[in-house]
Amino acid sequence: MTEEYDVEFVEREDREARFLVRGVTPAFANGIRRAMIADVPTMAIDTVRFVENSSVMFDEQLALRLGLVPLTTPPVGEFVEDDTVTLSIDVEGPATAYSGNLVSSDSLVQPADENVPIIDLKDGQRLEAEAEVVLDRGKNHAKHQGGVAVGYRHLQRVEVVGDVPEFEEPDERIVRGVIEDDGELVPTSEFDHDLTNRYPDQEVAIEDVPNAFVFHVETDGSFTVEELVTRAAETIEARATELEEAVQL
Amino acid sequence: MELRVTESSENELSIEIAGEDHTFMNVLKGTLLEHDDVSAATYDVNPEQSGGQTEPILTIKTEGGVDPLNALEEAAVDVGEKAVAFRNAFEAAA
Repeated sequence: MTEEYDVEFVEREDREARFLVRGVTPAFANGIRRAMIADVPTMAIDTVRFVENSSVMFDEQLALRLGLVPLTTPPVGEFVEDDTVTLSIDVEGPATAYSGNLVSSDSLVQPADENVPIIDLKDGQRLEAEAEVVLDRGKNHAKHQGGVAVGYRHLQRVEVVGDVPEFEEPDERIVRGVIEDDGELVPTSEFDHDLTNRYPDQEVAIEDVPNAFVFHVETDGSFTVEELVTRAAETIEARATELEEAVQL
Repeated sequence: MELRVTESSENELSIEIAGEDHTFMNVLKGTLLEHDDVSAATYDVNPEQSGGQTEPILTIKTEGGVDPLNALEEAAVDVGEKAVAFRNAFEAAA
């Protein structure tokens, strides 16, 4: 069976993108979405050894906060589950300890953002700790979720079917996502999500385009959107291969 | 991925697929239903807190003398091909 997929980017940045996929079944689209959220492994702090913590928070609270700091995840094959990287932090008050103060033993694993506050330290307070970073999946803990805000909507086709009667009070027509107008893809944000702005005084019909989904993907900075989507597809592929082999036995 | 057959006959098969959730099972079920000789395919999974059976159980019914296990194998191949096709299409656009 040959599948005809067609992918087209609508908006694109490093950490956020919107792209259209044609020819995909709802089941497969949802599989990809779920895989992006729960099955793509990312690095996150898992164990913390405190050398000194004279801040106002308990060790456990700080450990949770450290765990939630997004870290860059190295390319596939560089690390496997159970490998660890050590990060250390040493900040003395008065100052705020930020994620940028974490010093990594491996250049591939760094805080994705420098400005995540960990704790505000007053005069004389100090935080010194070493943290172990592990690779794991979002299914086991939300801190390992590479994809945040991942979702999809049907592509919507808009057609002009006539004019609004001259003396009729115009109602707003709100749509969100991406519309297709004569083959042209237009994000609804371009006309403030209101079709009457784009088609003034015209009657329009909207319908979902079958098997065309517009994905909106945002990552936490662990990797780019492209990495996330490819790795999600790879996890599904890996499971299919595993099942194939298991059935043959 | 551990498989355990819970019920099996000539044209019907119930199989437990350990360690999987909706992510993979729904894709697999959808692909099985695209198969010409599969007359019914469904899966059942209980929430973790429910106690008892929590691994998904896939049930396949076939017609025309096709072995349900073969249908499952073909579907697994199809899912893999879909994932590869999707990845290639995505990389071509990226």
